[in-house]
Amino acid sequence: MQYGMIIDVDKCVGCHACVIACKAEWEVPTQFDRNWVHRLGPSLTSDGMAATYYPGLCNHCEIPVCVPVCPADPVNVTFKDAKTGKTVTMEIRATWKDPFNGTVQVDRERCIGCGACAEACPYDARFIDESLKDDTSLGKVDKCTYCMPRVAEGLEPACVQTCLARARIFGDLDDPNSEVSQYVKKGAVGLTSKAVQIGPHGLYYASKKGDMELLMQAAPQEMPKVSLRRSMLTRLTVAAQTHMKEIGLLGLAGGLLVQSVQDDDKE
Amino acid sequence: MATNLTRRNFLKAASIAAASVPLSQVTAKAQSGVVKAPLVSPGSFKNTQTAVGGVCEMCFWRCQLVGKVRDGRLIKLEGNPKSIDNGEAICARGNAGVAMLYDPDRLKYPLKNIGERGAPKWQRISWEEALDTCATKLKTIIDRDGAKGLCFFGHGSHAKYLMDFLERTVSTPNISEASFFQCRGVRDTAYLATLDIAPDENVDMANAKVIFFTGTHIGENIHLSHAKNYLRGLEQGAKLIVVDPRYSASAAKSHIWVQIRPGTDTAFVLAIMNYLIQNKKYNADFVEEHGEGFAEMAKGIREWTLEKAAEECDVPASQIKEVADLMAANMPHVAIHPGRHTTWYGNDFQRCRALACLTGLLGAIGCKGGLVLPKGPKGLTRINWPYVPHEEDSVLRDVADEHHFSPPGTPTELLRDAAISGKPYPIKGAVICGQNIMQCMPNQEKTIKMLKQMEFVLCVDIMPTDSTMYADILLPDCSYLEKSDFIKTGQQWDLGKDPQQYIAPRMPLVAPGFERKDSIWITNELAKRMGYGDKIPAQNQEELADKALAGVNLSLAKIKAEGGIHVQPGVSPYDDIDDLTVHFYNEDMEDEGYPPIPTYVPIEQPPQGFVRLVYGRTPLHTFNRTANNPWLVNEAKTNPLWVNDKLAARLGLKEGDTIKLTNQDGVTSPTTTTVKVTPGIREDVVYLYHGYGTKNPEMTQAVNRGIDDNSLITKIAVDPESGAHGMRNNFVKIVKVS
Repeated sequence: MQYGMIIDVDKCVGCHACVIACKAEWEVPTQFDRNWVHRLGPSLTSDGMAATYYPGLCNHCEIPVCVPVCPADPVNVTFKDAKTGKTVTMEIRATWKDPFNGTVQVDRERCIGCGACAEACPYDARFIDESLKDDTSLGKVDKCTYCMPRVAEGLEPACVQTCLARARIFGDLDDPNSEVSQYVKKGAVGLTSKAVQIGPHGLYYASKKGDMELLMQAAPQEMPKVSLRRSMLTRLTVAAQTHMKEIGLLGLAGGLLVQSVQDDDKE
Repeated sequence: MATNLTRRNFLKAASIAAASVPLSQVTAKAQSGVVKAPLVSPGSFKNTQTAVGGVCEMCFWRCQLVGKVRDGRLIKLEGNPKSIDNGEAICARGNAGVAMLYDPDRLKYPLKNIGERGAPKWQRISWEEALDTCATKLKTIIDRDGAKGLCFFGHGSHAKYLMDFLERTVSTPNISEASFFQCRGVRDTAYLATLDIAPDENVDMANAKVIFFTGTHIGENIHLSHAKNYLRGLEQGAKLIVVDPRYSASAAKSHIWVQIRPGTDTAFVLAIMNYLIQNKKYNADFVEEHGEGFAEMAKGIREWTLEKAAEECDVPASQIKEVADLMAANMPHVAIHPGRHTTWYGNDFQRCRALACLTGLLGAIGCKGGLVLPKGPKGLTRINWPYVPHEEDSVLRDVADEHHFSPPGTPTELLRDAAISGKPYPIKGAVICGQNIMQCMPNQEKTIKMLKQMEFVLCVDIMPTDSTMYADILLPDCSYLEKSDFIKTGQQWDLGKDPQQYIAPRMPLVAPGFERKDSIWITNELAKRMGYGDKIPAQNQEELADKALAGVNLSLAKIKAEGGIHVQPGVSPYDDIDDLTVHFYNEDMEDEGYPPIPTYVPIEQPPQGFVRLVYGRTPLHTFNRTANNPWLVNEAKTNPLWVNDKLAARLGLKEGDTIKLTNQDGVTSPTTTTVKVTPGIREDVVYLYHGYGTKNPEMTQAVNRGIDDNSLITKIAVDPESGAHGMRNNFVKIVKVS
């Protein structure tokens, strides 16, 4: 199973209700958002004048680049498939991809607020709330959870429930009969680019060529440069913490660190 | 949300991680000993009660709500699942009602201004003192000058009971509602003069084959079930035609975008009608049956050839023809949208009348996809203040013998002029409730002059708007989430479905905070003190609602038990047009000296070096009403000026530049905004979202944010037929700040 979200921008009227409903549902601090709506255009496209919306949220990616960069203390957690009852135990840090429903989740209790995951995300889908810093963290990360606690109660994600246009469709992309899969057949695609190919599960549908062109221009065009460096650094730190289990990485990480310091000096 | 992760921060974090104590053990008992709130919110569905009966008033569409309440605190608002109007959906503003409710800047206590009007110093006083003062001051004016010595400005259900008291029982005729004179009144009277009905926005877009907007920008303007209606129409294949100088949210979904020269819409509509008539493509059977004065109109608009209109409107003749042919091919299922905010150029009655005539010409009334009045429930008891006729010669538009097609109340300009000049009689007391006259009435200088000459100004509001700065006494109203002052009724949103009706009386979702009081209580207390105690129609808001509901054998308690909304079988709204007459030619108009057939009145075009300032809605705000809402402010921090890309290049402006505006009268905006460069607007027009540029520093989120378009609307136009303002006749220069 892989949860995903379709955004049908033919229907979206750009009202931002999805953003505010999420804010209320999860008591997200005013200055932060777990999701967003960007107005695109009006601009001239290859198909003439166009304007549309980019309602964005965590893409719960196939390759979640935010996960491996987390330096938090690892723990073993047993996951249970809501449908079959099957369980899997795996070692996770403070952010992980759920082995059964494919969502990417965070544990704010264990988050140290370093921001590596937020920086790694090419979609800018995470934020660090520094006001939550305490003796053991610089703050806490937050992001869209696909409203898993609501879904567990049989409710729709808050952004889906409030959408007047029914422009947001949530469901299982692995189920060929689901509405989200029907949209994939119709041509819904993730906002990817040549450099950013990490399998987003937020997929966008537009029947107008110009609208799709604007959306694709809004897609991130490069992977955050820092993410590889950050990943290595964090794993280095973690390696030190967990008795140098991953000592083999030290050389690579050190090289990257030197390189990045030189890059920064140039800036 | 970019996290500014510096290396230093990262290393700091890493050093914490490296402290060798597993974090999972640490977080439970932080070393500082401070007990933290849970790091994860439980969600609005956990440990909450669902309060039913909410009726939104972030805007005036009034969606039906439920509230998720935890320990007396409202966590979240959702659409009421029982609603056959908005359903479970609400818009961004509706969702942000929570942030309005707990806005720390909201009015909390009765206040007395011990400073000056416009530069207030507030002193907290008791309700007793506040009400006694208001009653004494108002009574003094009434006893000396008569009820006509008072005026009232109000908006929304907050204002209705107080307005009715003043207009009907105290009997002042000087009531000027922004919803009429700065918004939709001109539309309603123009349609009344043409079709004998006030249309509201009742077009059956969901079942239309063609949808026609002039200026309507659904997407930027969100009225929830109206937007659903529009989207269903589009999903079912309706062709959308949008006439707008700007590539609006609706233009972006259109099949034909007519990028018209501002102010020429009437010429465009006349040319469509003339083409349909000349080519016998109109609905002749319908016109034969329902039309009156068709031949006169046909003759009178003959000059409006496609070519002539093309030149006037600055659009291709072929495009006008394309629009007309599309309508003809799909009539009568053509939704000619009457518009909502229609006070544009001071020639608006004629434009609205032309749209109504076009509707008649296509026979697009009472049929699927046409102008269809929904059929809501009947039988609610009318409870109101007893009516006392106005004093002779006190109705200003009768005295002036002007604006014979005015909506109810007194045209703002007549009222303001009378107050300032003292002629034909003095107006020395002002009551303002729920309306921010400083930001909705053009020419702020004049409004200030009017207010400063008053002996007494009372404001009742929930927020310290710019207008409240001119109050002597300022009273804190309950918001729509804390009161029960309105009964929303209607039909299911898609008229094409099985007819159903609903009755949704507003019920409080939470108790009022601080010393806020509902406006029904406030009005009754004032009435008692002014000697009208025996005229009070209901002792409190619950009684008011229950008395009205008794007519249909319902009560607040019964409807609460039904989930906050009473739903009953309805009747089909279609085909109820037997008595309909379309007045293509209106004799009454001729008698009063107005053009009897729809007529194009050209407006002034921008002088050299200036562009026309137009304004409109953002989906995140309802004018200035929501300007201080922290959640909404965070989504739309300013109101960027839309500037055509070629114009921007000529002026050396880039996306994101900070600018000011100076208008033709030399008035410069006191605040700044940024520039949005786009090909999606004409070169002779710039565009702002309305509602920004608050001046009152007590609105801490809104103050000085963006430019107040209204501060630049100093040149006044008044529509002759209706007395409504025209507010898009001002021209600006863009001044780069940085």
